[in-house]
Amino acid sequence: MMTSVLPLIITLGYVAVAMVIGLRARGGRSMSSLEEWGVAGRSMGPVTLYLLIAAGSVSAYTFMGAPGWAYAKGIPVFYVAIYLAYLALVAWYFGPKVWAFGERFGHVTQASAIADRYQSPMLGALAALVMSVGSVAYAVLQTIGSAYILFVMSGGQIPIWAGVVLVLSCIAVYLYVSGQRAIGRTNAFQGVLMLIVAWSIGLWATHSASGSWNFGTVFARLQREHPEFLTLPGAGGDMSFAFWTTSILVSMVSFMPPVWTQWMSAASARTIRRSATWLPTYYLVILPMVVVGFIGIFTLPELARADTVALEYAMQHLPALLVGLLGAGTLAASMSSCEPFLHSVALTCSRDVLQPALKLSDRQAGRLARWLLFPLMALVIAPLAIAEPGNLVMILLIGLGFASQVLPAFVGMFLWPRANRAGVAAGILAGFVITVAFTTLWPHPLGIHAGFWGLLVNLPLFVLVSRVTAPTDEAVVERFFRIAAPWRYRSLARRTPSLMSAAAGAAPVSARREET
Amino acid sequence: MSQYFVLPSSWRGWLVLAGFVAVIVAGIWPVIGLVNRPVLVMGLPAVAVWSYLIIFACCGVMALGNLLVAEEDGDDD
Repeated sequence: MMTSVLPLIITLGYVAVAMVIGLRARGGRSMSSLEEWGVAGRSMGPVTLYLLIAAGSVSAYTFMGAPGWAYAKGIPVFYVAIYLAYLALVAWYFGPKVWAFGERFGHVTQASAIADRYQSPMLGALAALVMSVGSVAYAVLQTIGSAYILFVMSGGQIPIWAGVVLVLSCIAVYLYVSGQRAIGRTNAFQGVLMLIVAWSIGLWATHSASGSWNFGTVFARLQREHPEFLTLPGAGGDMSFAFWTTSILVSMVSFMPPVWTQWMSAASARTIRRSATWLPTYYLVILPMVVVGFIGIFTLPELARADTVALEYAMQHLPALLVGLLGAGTLAASMSSCEPFLHSVALTCSRDVLQPALKLSDRQAGRLARWLLFPLMALVIAPLAIAEPGNLVMILLIGLGFASQVLPAFVGMFLWPRANRAGVAAGILAGFVITVAFTTLWPHPLGIHAGFWGLLVNLPLFVLVSRVTAPTDEAVVERFFRIAAPWRYRSLARRTPSLMSAAAGAAPVSARREET
Repeated sequence: MSQYFVLPSSWRGWLVLAGFVAVIVAGIWPVIGLVNRPVLVMGLPAVAVWSYLIIFACCGVMALGNLLVAEEDGDDD
């Protein structure tokens, strides 16, 4: 138990700064439209977008889970760095197209794009609801992490329930006031803070453990004493080549709704490309924290909970200033990942579920999305975070399982014009059932990720059903693929200029809704 | 509208696609098996160094894509 109050002051100081930044992000703009509150009026520049996506994807896992994995398993932890880099490739290719869909057709959520492409509000609402289940579970886990940090930094003086209330209240207020702009600004601050904290902690811990600033001294000792930590399947023996490979591939094709919203918040398609190009460099943040986990193998051999290794090491061996910075950095990581998910759930429930069901105007849906934050946090997130139900991780896994199985919807949006509603629904349903069964009943058969098994059934069924059922309306498909594959139309126009000019005249201009 | 899968239409597009596939293949089996040894490279585990090489290779491939296909892909629309 800590005696200094400095770590708590630094951690609470971070909360206060985040609050001020979040509130000031609004900058006098009206937040009454979904376009402004939901996607920041599509205005974010490349640096803000870089830090927004980077900080959003680097959760408390980087400061707690990743050192814990290094401590318990060793080198398998680096699969995270690889799949995060691959997510940047995904953002580079798909992000500009998603942005263009949103800009031309008025989409502000992932589910609204699905509903539009497949001409099925029902499919959009289903995607919104199930993605929301996974998003809520993820947000709850991040909230628990935030409250735990406040509990530790206060030496037990701030109980978990009070930490949950404090963190959610801050997020609720600045999200309500500034929407996606608050997420952009606070994530930018949190992203820079996390980078500084991770490298400070990693270097200082290395120096305190080995007398050198060089990470190599830690690994040289590890190589002599515990070489099993340096190769797959790791010291735990559970990260086979098959699981490493399929985990990376499944994580790479899981398009979570907040990421979609982040892409739509960019000022232009080119902005996304510029941010995505350098996004992988941010994941250097993982290396120093992983080194702290490896140091724990020698210094904290009897630790009960692997994911507390960085905190425990800091409290026992580092100065109070660095402990406080670690608390602030970990809290920043939790909050920066939590807030996009909360925002996305409120946005998609309003836009894709309640707006079509209650026939609301865009302005009414925009107001509703903002107000939904409060019941969402007070009645769902806070009780779950305080109660910490044992099956929360299972709910998260099921939600993420669904996220990986929505792949056919995106294949049909970007890569295959023949995809239709029936094919997508059949693929998602079959893949989801397989993924849930292989997550809960028979976990990861043959050491292959459950989501990968799901895709093995999902994708062939999706293609088969799409081919034997009626295609989607040609005009809708053309509207999407003029953006997803514009070169097809350019080459067609060169071959048949008269035909194309007639077709262009017949194509719908835009599906953007008029604000009432 | 063609009903076939979208594929690149120029050698530039194919080159960038090949780069994407190459960096993805580099991070998974069987390639990862080739670097899976308990040796240190520049003081870091071989798999860790390989992971960070992949990270920088991803940046390189995307930078190449910006040069070669961004306009073709409708970035400036």
